[in-house]
Amino acid sequence: MLGRRGSLRFLTVPPFAWLIVLFILPLLLAILVSFRGERGPIDFGSLLQLSTLQYGKILDTPSWLRLLGTSAAMALVVAAGATLLAFPIAYFLAFRARHRAPIFLILLLVPAATSFLLRVMAWKLLLGGSGAINTFLIWIGVVHEPIGLLLYSQAAVIITLIYVWIPFAALPIYAALQRVERSHLEAAADLGSGPWSRFWRVTVPLSLPGVLATFFMVFIPTVGEYVTPFLVGGTEGFMYGLLIQDFFSRAGNWPLGSALAVIMLVVTIGLVTIALRLVNLRRALA
Amino acid sequence: MPARFGPARMSLTILFGSMVILAACAAPNKLLVLEWSGYDEPDFWTDFKTANPDTAVTFEPGSSDADVLAKMEAGSQADIFHFYTGWQQFYVDAGLVKEIDTSKLTNWDKVPQSFKDLGKVDGKQYYLPWDWGFTSILYNTDKVTEVTSWDALFDDAYTGHISMWDDGPSAVTVSSYVHGWDETAITDEQLAQAEQEWKDQKALNFHYWTDEYADLCPDFEGGDIWLAYAWQGCYATILYSESQPVAYANPAEGRNSWVGLYGISSKTANYDLALQFLDMKLATLTCSNAVTIFYYGCANQEVMDGIEDPVLIQAFGIDDPSILDSTNFTPPVTEAQRTAWTEMWGRVKAE
Repeated sequence: MLGRRGSLRFLTVPPFAWLIVLFILPLLLAILVSFRGERGPIDFGSLLQLSTLQYGKILDTPSWLRLLGTSAAMALVVAAGATLLAFPIAYFLAFRARHRAPIFLILLLVPAATSFLLRVMAWKLLLGGSGAINTFLIWIGVVHEPIGLLLYSQAAVIITLIYVWIPFAALPIYAALQRVERSHLEAAADLGSGPWSRFWRVTVPLSLPGVLATFFMVFIPTVGEYVTPFLVGGTEGFMYGLLIQDFFSRAGNWPLGSALAVIMLVVTIGLVTIALRLVNLRRALA
Repeated sequence: MPARFGPARMSLTILFGSMVILAACAAPNKLLVLEWSGYDEPDFWTDFKTANPDTAVTFEPGSSDADVLAKMEAGSQADIFHFYTGWQQFYVDAGLVKEIDTSKLTNWDKVPQSFKDLGKVDGKQYYLPWDWGFTSILYNTDKVTEVTSWDALFDDAYTGHISMWDDGPSAVTVSSYVHGWDETAITDEQLAQAEQEWKDQKALNFHYWTDEYADLCPDFEGGDIWLAYAWQGCYATILYSESQPVAYANPAEGRNSWVGLYGISSKTANYDLALQFLDMKLATLTCSNAVTIFYYGCANQEVMDGIEDPVLIQAFGIDDPSILDSTNFTPPVTEAQRTAWTEMWGRVKAE
């Protein structure tokens, strides 16, 4: 029989082992590989021959650093857009849907049950030169040639990413709104506060932890996003994550790809740290 | 006193037990092929499948020649790997490939000597040639005037309707054709010039295509792309569909040609089975499928000689006996060159 402590260990060792083997070690390996001089067979001996060559190349290439800035800015727009659009949905689920909330919640998550790739491809069919929107516009005579700007642009990437994130962004906000004590709202109403005042001075502040969590949940992975820009970005919607992917899979240059990834990791952590300082998270969560 | 079988040990036992079971899965009647995506279609290895119904063939995807090499270098367990001309030397230098015993290949005599030679390094037959084709400019004859040079890819008259393959070394190859440079000896100045020209060309593209059948052909057939760097497979596809009036250029600088090669891993425990797999790749039905379903040339010359379909004759230029005289076959380049060219392309795309 396993004791209480034994049971705890039995339960925690596998996930920790999983995390160490499949997250911590690959991350350390990526950092080690990023300090390799040139690409080539990876063996233990060559990993220990450290060089800053790849980091030097990156710092000497302003276009790559600019691309990281552009990608962070795009991620900011996507995170803000997805959070803002998800808030009314979460609000409706928490305060208006009542007993139908579970049904609406399922409906919200139905698109997520289909493949991410499929949903992005659907946008391609919708926005493409021979897609639904262009075909309709030509049919009603508004345009004679397909509008090319709808697809393969930065805007297409941002619109698609916001769409993809909304269902997931609504969940933490919904959870936060559910925790808002109804008695607080009743007390505010009793003290003469109107609906807007209650919303801005009670509901929003109390839901802020969920809103902030949502924002960073969207922002952090979007900086390194590569599937969506790959499918709908074209030459104009290219993002930093695609550059990393290119060096790993298309160029086979793992040292440079790793160095680019490490820089993105450091910059993203830095940006999130600064943002958390600015919004004073402790106060927001208090 | 027996040691206590604690939870930590129990967890480790489960972990190592799982690893042992996974290792045991590497049974000798299994083959792992490191292959370009799409080539895992059963039509591409149908003769082997028929001859070996009990052998499980699995495919590890490779997204480019560089990716295939990187995966082999990183210790891929693949028995067989597939790549294209220009990369032969790297596998030999790294000790990743085993020599092919051609005496055991029943279809070897159907392969032309020129193809066999492409699979040789230092006089030894390390690779088996299989698929081949052309690269040139595919264009819509309703929208584009006759293309006579590779520099059509830089023509701003077709802004927004051009599509270049998303590949740095190929971009350098095109630049070398346009400027008459020696592709195997590109200087730093030439590379800088090519980089600027491709940066200027970037805005002309509808997109950089990555998959011939997933994005190049559909967008060409849909009318978004008028002029593209393309392989003959897409040309044949559009000829069959008759969706657009299309031509495949014979540029003054010559077309490009590539040949796909298969190698057997030096670490394989299934050498004979791998050899049989390669032999069956050259068998008539498998090669015919490559030609008639996917519109790629095949190294089995008997199959190529048997082509009667006028579309395929046009696509492979079989009706033009001089076509190969003006064709540039992809030469081998060095590791340093490839690294410099892919980094150049990364800068172009990030601009």
